[in-house]
Amino acid sequence: MKTAVCIKQVVTRDWPLRPAESATWVRDDDASFEMNEPDAYALEEALRLKERHGGEVVVCSAGPARISQVIREALARGADRAIHVESDALSAAGADAVAAALAAAMQDESFDLVLTGLQSDDQGFGQTGVVLAERLGLPHATIIMEVDIAADGAGLRVKRELESGWFQWVAMPLPALLTIQSGINQLRYATLRGIMAAKRKEIRTVPLDGVASQGQRILELYVPEKTSATRFIDGSAPEAARELVRLLREEARVL
Amino acid sequence: MERETLDVDVLVVGGGPAGLAAAYRLARLNAEQGGEPLMVAVLEKARAAGAHMLSGAVLDPSALTDLMPDWKSRGAPLDVPVRDDRIYFLTARRALPFPVTPPPLRNHGHYVVSLNRLAKWLAEQVEAAGVDVFTGFAGTELLYEGDRVVGVRTGDRGLDRHGERKGTFEPGVDIRARVTVLADGVRGNLTKTLIRRFGLDAGRSPQSYAIGIKELWDVDPDRLPAGSVIHTMGHPLRHEEFGGGFIYALPEGRLSVGFVAGLDYRDPLFDPHVAFQRFKRHPLVSNLLAGGQMVRYGAKALPEGGWHALPRCHADGALIAGDAAGFLNSMRLKGIHLAMRSGMHAADAAFRAVREGDVSGARLSEYARLVEEGPIRRELYPVRNVHQSFAGGLLAGLLYSGMSLVTGGWWFRDPMPSHAGHERTRTVKRYFGGGVPPEPPGVPIDRALTFDRLTNVHYSGTRHDEDQPSHLLVADTDICRTRCIEEYANPCTRFCPANVYEIVDADAGAGKRLQINASNCVHCKTCDIMDPYQIIDWVPPEGGGGPSYEGM
Repeated sequence: MKTAVCIKQVVTRDWPLRPAESATWVRDDDASFEMNEPDAYALEEALRLKERHGGEVVVCSAGPARISQVIREALARGADRAIHVESDALSAAGADAVAAALAAAMQDESFDLVLTGLQSDDQGFGQTGVVLAERLGLPHATIIMEVDIAADGAGLRVKRELESGWFQWVAMPLPALLTIQSGINQLRYATLRGIMAAKRKEIRTVPLDGVASQGQRILELYVPEKTSATRFIDGSAPEAARELVRLLREEARVL
Repeated sequence: MERETLDVDVLVVGGGPAGLAAAYRLARLNAEQGGEPLMVAVLEKARAAGAHMLSGAVLDPSALTDLMPDWKSRGAPLDVPVRDDRIYFLTARRALPFPVTPPPLRNHGHYVVSLNRLAKWLAEQVEAAGVDVFTGFAGTELLYEGDRVVGVRTGDRGLDRHGERKGTFEPGVDIRARVTVLADGVRGNLTKTLIRRFGLDAGRSPQSYAIGIKELWDVDPDRLPAGSVIHTMGHPLRHEEFGGGFIYALPEGRLSVGFVAGLDYRDPLFDPHVAFQRFKRHPLVSNLLAGGQMVRYGAKALPEGGWHALPRCHADGALIAGDAAGFLNSMRLKGIHLAMRSGMHAADAAFRAVREGDVSGARLSEYARLVEEGPIRRELYPVRNVHQSFAGGLLAGLLYSGMSLVTGGWWFRDPMPSHAGHERTRTVKRYFGGGVPPEPPGVPIDRALTFDRLTNVHYSGTRHDEDQPSHLLVADTDICRTRCIEEYANPCTRFCPANVYEIVDADAGAGKRLQINASNCVHCKTCDIMDPYQIIDWVPPEGGGGPSYEGM
């Protein structure tokens, strides 16, 4: 089975963010980056499926040169080769542009299964996988918590996470695209041998075909204004308690 | 579960300037000398190359130029030549400029750099030269055959907070090497065990240390031209405390603002983090930072002991380089070039030893000869007593330092006697003469110019998997709540720049207890160095954990 995993490089969680001059993205020239978390789970799931069913795992990513960091990490964890759609224009691109860029590069590979993370930790639209499925002409299912491929390899059953602890099993044909939920499996560590082997693996760099899609643009990015304020109430405990009750009743109007 | 093993010729532990210079030199020797190339690998505990690198930094490029004459065309991040050196003596309100800059602090021909970027770039060069750089792996113990070092075991990964295996458990790897170059940084955890096992510091002066705390700021680009270098002495330190402040200007209004305090202070209530905040509130500094934004924070200890405190740096199968050994010139406030130089010497010695099939300490002592006969001794020997002279106070230190420029460092007693810094800390009772100690100088925290430790730590990008065993081993926590609280008032809560140590109420009114917030740790090593009872042992957390010093 030939599986593609689409991964994205995002600014590290908890990084102190500041809007860039353009006010359409954050300043990321000196940021620390990592693999988008749901994508790491998608990669792990692809590696586990390969261990069970054989085949090949190909990492696909779209972005500037710096994303080779996460591509190499994915190869070190066990992916077989990679496709890198390289363009600075994709550094803060939306789901539409990324899906278009990936689809063009993945079209001719005829993957049996395409896995993406459910959503990105930075923009969080949750649309890249879905739009990519449409562009590749594949059926898709989202928020996947379990993947069960039929013995004859003709189709698969997937478990989707719904609200309030409900799940849904869906039967699908192959080829298909799945967007993977974090926590579907346990992530493995990269090994020394994996890191060494990764150096010899192929990373096919392809240029962006034409200009990045402008179907979706960030108009403005800003830090939310702080609307809550802490207030200290002076006085003895009984006085302060009375004052607190008064404020909750008259100002906050929650009592 | 089977333990992974790997065999190499030379293993370099630590991807800082010393380790990466050693690795690059080895790759060059492979290319130049022909024959079967030596297999070289670098272990680095940070998740990414350079992520645990923190320095001022003003770089003397001499060693880099010898290592890689074409560094410019290879895009080395040395973009900002020093254009202007200034030194001030600070009083509480005023800044008195030194009329002339003393020769050791003249930085013409040097560069203001980010050590993080330099190491990241150097790691790329090293990898391109065919060396494996394994980031995210911490060396946790040395492997021996008899008394010969034969490699390093890396830490187990996937242990929970009780030390039990999680589903992802991955045992540590044994990397066997004919020569192991320890470049594990200031108070390196492996170097520490090697020095103890073989008494490599016998007959040497005790190593002395300082802690450097630093922030990066973005300010109005017109405030200070790129390449400006400012050093300060005096306020907020008193005569008895060693240290000073620095401000280095990078392009686009980015300032490196930091403070170095000797870890040999007597006052048990001294707080280096508070001293840094007070430094920033001095008009000289606050005027530069006004309206700006703090963007990064970090801290790191540095070895200040100099020539007399260097341990023997070779053993059977092992060499020690860089800050791990203490190659730092405290008079010039520089160590990166010496770290690189020592790494290059270590590489030369290791290469020849492996080629000749003799990796004994006797053969590897060629390293000591290279250090003795080369630029390292030429630079460090004349200033060998400088740091020690400051033990007599700022004035004595300055007088001696000035004199040493003329006398070549001579003194009546050479080495000048010195003590380990933690032994100088006095008990509260002794320091304050038995009375109630005065309230130590506090500092208002406005989160614009001054910050509390927790806010600062957030800006260090520090992250550890929370569910892992604590990597700060306190041998006897009873001492903290019974003796230390009385004798020293728990100085760990003050000298730790990352709020790792807290004294909290114990359950059910049972007094106080020590709480260790290990995931805050920025790997500065100060606690291992400065704890008065020497019961704190810093061991590496799971590989990949720690700060993320981008741009520092």
